[in-house]
Amino acid sequence: MAARGARIGPRRRIAVDLEASVNLLGTLGKYLGLAALLPTAVALVYGEPVWPFLVAGAVTSGVGLGLERLTSGAAERVRAREGYLVISATWLLAACFGAMPYLFVGGDQLGHPMDAFFEGMSGFTTTGATVVTDFDELSHSLAMWRQFTQWLGGLGIIVLALAVLPRLRVGGRQLLESELPGPEVDQLSERIKHTVRRIWILYVALTALEAAILTAFGWTGIDDELNLYEAVAHAFTTIPTGGFSTQAESIGAFAPATQWVVLAFMVLAGLNFALLWRSVIQRRPGALTRDEESRLYVFLLVAASALLIIELTTGEIAGSDAPIRNGVFQAVAIMTGTGYATVDFAAWPTLALMTLVLLMFIGGAAGSTTGSLKVIRHLLLARVLRRELAQTLRPELVSPVRLSGAVVDERIVRAIIAFVLLYIGLFVAGAGVIAVDASLRGPDMLPIDAISSAAATLGNVGPSAGPAGPMDSYAPFSDLSKGTMVALMWLGRLELIPIIVLFTRSYWRV
Amino acid sequence: MKVFIVGAGQVGATVAEALHIEHELTVLDTEPTRLNALAYRFDLATFEGDGTSRRDLIAAGIRDADLIIAATSRDEVNLVAGMFGRREAPRAKTIIRTSETEYIELWRDRQLDVDFVVCPEYETAHAISRTLGVPAARQTDVFANGQVQIVEFDVEEGASRDIVGVPLRAARIPADSKVAAIINQGQATLPGGDDAIPVGARVVVIGSPRAAREWSSLLAPGEAAVRDVVIFGAGRVGSTIARVLLGQGITVRLIEASRERARRAAEAMPKARVYNATGFDADFLERERIGLSQAAIFAMRDDTKNLYAASLATVHGVPFTIAVAHEAVSLAAFEQAGIDVAVNPRAVTAEEIVRWAHDPRTQQVAMLEENRYEVLDVTTRETSRYVGTAFRDMPVHGALIGALVRNGSAVFPHGDDVLQAGDRVIIFTEAENAPWVIEAL
Repeated sequence: MAARGARIGPRRRIAVDLEASVNLLGTLGKYLGLAALLPTAVALVYGEPVWPFLVAGAVTSGVGLGLERLTSGAAERVRAREGYLVISATWLLAACFGAMPYLFVGGDQLGHPMDAFFEGMSGFTTTGATVVTDFDELSHSLAMWRQFTQWLGGLGIIVLALAVLPRLRVGGRQLLESELPGPEVDQLSERIKHTVRRIWILYVALTALEAAILTAFGWTGIDDELNLYEAVAHAFTTIPTGGFSTQAESIGAFAPATQWVVLAFMVLAGLNFALLWRSVIQRRPGALTRDEESRLYVFLLVAASALLIIELTTGEIAGSDAPIRNGVFQAVAIMTGTGYATVDFAAWPTLALMTLVLLMFIGGAAGSTTGSLKVIRHLLLARVLRRELAQTLRPELVSPVRLSGAVVDERIVRAIIAFVLLYIGLFVAGAGVIAVDASLRGPDMLPIDAISSAAATLGNVGPSAGPAGPMDSYAPFSDLSKGTMVALMWLGRLELIPIIVLFTRSYWRV
Repeated sequence: MKVFIVGAGQVGATVAEALHIEHELTVLDTEPTRLNALAYRFDLATFEGDGTSRRDLIAAGIRDADLIIAATSRDEVNLVAGMFGRREAPRAKTIIRTSETEYIELWRDRQLDVDFVVCPEYETAHAISRTLGVPAARQTDVFANGQVQIVEFDVEEGASRDIVGVPLRAARIPADSKVAAIINQGQATLPGGDDAIPVGARVVVIGSPRAAREWSSLLAPGEAAVRDVVIFGAGRVGSTIARVLLGQGITVRLIEASRERARRAAEAMPKARVYNATGFDADFLERERIGLSQAAIFAMRDDTKNLYAASLATVHGVPFTIAVAHEAVSLAAFEQAGIDVAVNPRAVTAEEIVRWAHDPRTQQVAMLEENRYEVLDVTTRETSRYVGTAFRDMPVHGALIGALVRNGSAVFPHGDDVLQAGDRVIIFTEAENAPWVIEAL
């Protein structure tokens, strides 16, 4: 018998390659810290202190560098299992990074640690829920930092990293599929490099276009409230369907023409970016017009707008002065999860408010920057239910679920059902915690306000009803409620699964 | 003409049977018993060898062939044999048999270097779809891109007295059609004006598709064209039939016992309704009201299953049954058991090959009544002695001109019309007269 002299090592209990995961997390953190340079530049222009951003950037990059140096795991060793851990941890790290400047110079409200963390998470997850009560207290640079975190979070930190860091592309497909919002029924058949680069080009181009149009509005006097700063700040939060604003009245602070432009870009941001690329850049408009999800998305936007317009014209409520503009804007802003507002819809009667809460569960198309359940899941779930009904009468019927003519794999169908159930479950749990906590410790609110706050944070929408309306803030909630909402935002942005699997035994065990 | 046939299975044997009198045949197969069986029946050369081996093909004499027919049941063998044939005998025409409709499409796009491609599944599907269009027909064939149909009908009690039981001269025969033959008690006649069509006989009609439908409604009043069918079996044959029928706007329900095949069929054909069930489950047939469909097609792999499922479907009330008979002997058994139409894919394929092989000028050929009659499609030469002859003066040599294709459109000639050079003539004839007829034109 030939012995190779192999040594059987000690028993390994953990199936996750922690060292490689931490190493990759470190690399991502190292580069993430560079994002602080933009608010630093703004601070220099406006003569405001630069140290909060430099310190935040240095700490983040330093921690990243330290983690990278302490571990030796190569990024190649990151597989599907490690990917979930890296993604979940990266977004926590990003939220901490986002919170640091608020902690340093945020004043009474934002300087509070839980509030700073809430605002940081709300920024990177493109939720747009805010605890800022006094917008005059925000410096130009700090306000721009809020906007910029949403822009960075819109397409995803890892998607950005994949676009610029060749080293990551080895196991990148798994990371990409976990972080890009929505179930991608289309096979990503192209090279990751190309896919990611296209999406980012489109993202940057849309942002630049909106900023340019809004700046032009300011220069030509169409809207005196607009200047380069405001234009860029709002372009930064429209395209990622974020919803942060530098104004206490949100988009309501601007002229109707500006509101229509912002509205148009919200609609675009809710479309599938891959299809948008194909139809606009590659001149194949059929890619969008023949896509069933895109068509349903547009149909839902129109239907929701019509419903709100009816409610606005039949009742004397906030926004009834311009029912069409306000109806369409609120419908689009809430359904795409942007969370901008032109009127204080928190003061609306229950029926109109219920309409908005239902819209919070829709979202945009897969492959867009929106959160929530997304149109594709509604569409496929409806088809699965229709099939189930048909099969109760005809048990032998074989009926594949189709989307735009293509058969959807049964595993994806099952994943969608599981996702919707998890989503509903988390929403109910979150709403329960918020409602109970609010009844014990305040603020004083109705059950629908708790429901709407959970839906608005889990769906990455932003403002909700009651005390957390678009013209108010989440500041009155207790730290427990805020913590719950931070968790909901985090879960919602990463589409639940990458985080929830971390809490299963089979994830960790060999 | 020297014909080289690769494969002595059912298709190869049927082709050999049809061609052995006129042509010099060589048949190659790996199976000596099959070759012996053929050699005892017909006068032809046999060679034991592999159709994918260049050495075997050359040894068998493929270089001398004028026509190469690759008709084994395996696509790969046929493709390779066709390819070597093209190399070794560049002037020879090649025909290959295939089971993949993809190859037919490739051939139509001129991406496959052969002269003709036949697909049993495809031919079967088209044979069945023609039958559904003319439900009273026993057999139908189309010529001249569908402008001319040859249809064989059973004449039953319910047939209209306008055409049955009266001399043909007085009968109200649908326009653009002709009675080519009346077959009574196995005895065929090429009828004249004094003959009448008796109940219980069979008639062969040549005419336009519209006339064929009129004949169908005259001979079987109350039978409408089929718009709703059930197909049992979603294998290659069943799926191809389903696809062809769906293309004609017919509602199709597919029943397949294998879960995997049912899934694939459902994915490939969004318009069909697919069930994962056996055709023998009486509860299922009852629950899905299978008996309410106008016709059922049985395309499972096993003839016995097709037969039993067809009987069961008839019990459940399906009025019209069509069954695929994979074995030649099943044709008679199916007919005996009361199945309305039985189709043998290999026979249909062989017919298609023979049709093509018959003569360079002969575009198509149909075989009727167990190959005793043929329908020819011949282009008239300028030197033919019948050019300029009126049809009423044509001699009757056991043959009848049913239709002409002149300048691309079908003409159904009357007695005064005159045959012109270059006319494509569609002729119904006894098989033994076919060479003579081709020669004369």
